[in-house]
Amino acid sequence: MSSTNKSLPSTPRTILTGTFTCAWCGLTVSAAAGDGTRRNHCPSCLHSQHVLDHVEGGRSDCQGRMLPIAIAVLRTGDWMVIHRCVRCDELTSNPVCADDNQLILMRMAVRPLAQPPFPLEAFGDL
Amino acid sequence: MPRRVNSPRRRAQAARRPQRYKDVLHSQHGHRGRDFRCVGCRLDVSLDAPGTTHRNHCPNCLASLHVDRRIPGDRAATCHGRMEALSMSVQPDGEWMIIHHCLSCGELSANRIAGDDNALALVRLALKPLRDASIAQRTLLALCPRPTSRRRVTGHPRRT
Repeated sequence: MSSTNKSLPSTPRTILTGTFTCAWCGLTVSAAAGDGTRRNHCPSCLHSQHVLDHVEGGRSDCQGRMLPIAIAVLRTGDWMVIHRCVRCDELTSNPVCADDNQLILMRMAVRPLAQPPFPLEAFGDL
Repeated sequence: MPRRVNSPRRRAQAARRPQRYKDVLHSQHGHRGRDFRCVGCRLDVSLDAPGTTHRNHCPNCLASLHVDRRIPGDRAATCHGRMEALSMSVQPDGEWMIIHHCLSCGELSANRIAGDDNALALVRLALKPLRDASIAQRTLLALCPRPTSRRRVTGHPRRT
């Protein structure tokens, strides 16, 4: 909770209370998720927008669309979505919300195994 | 009169000359100028990798070092922290990319895998989201709610 309070002055309050339009699918999403945290990606297509500068912490001038590229797992077992900005190639990681599209999440998680660079049959013996 | 014989230790000290300065070995591209040593497993790694011209991680343990900022090889980052492989991503043409996470400053970076990377470490990294059974099972159950029980229900009236 303290981390969200610390990041609040850098983010405008209208983002937390209002809605935003997804940069990819055009869905109008409320900025507050069901559990009270601030949502930073569309729950339907998981795309995000580059409005926060994650290196210096302020607002970003890029405003580019951010594409979900991977699923990362924290030590606690929680999933994070890794986004990449299509304009400036910045990488960010954001926690998964409870109402995110499970089909896209699972598709990203199993995507490396669908196109392996080497045959995976040898790993069956291990 | 016989000369006094020196002890072998003193003779060796007198015979030793100062070592020459070997600047040829430690210049920029001389001996081991294109190698690095992994911070994780201390493996000596050559920069020449099959399949990629920008090797930045150890082929054995996939650890890296935070020395580049935007362009591979620019050496512009001042962090020099250790970067651990965080997850696996796939480019649209099917190439695997390792997402590295800097342990000291939290920066993320992506790099293509090389041809001699440890295949077991790569597959373990790709399977990481699916190993934790709770979230993966919950996601799968949300996608297809109990396909076996539904088949049993539809098959039951046909049998009776």
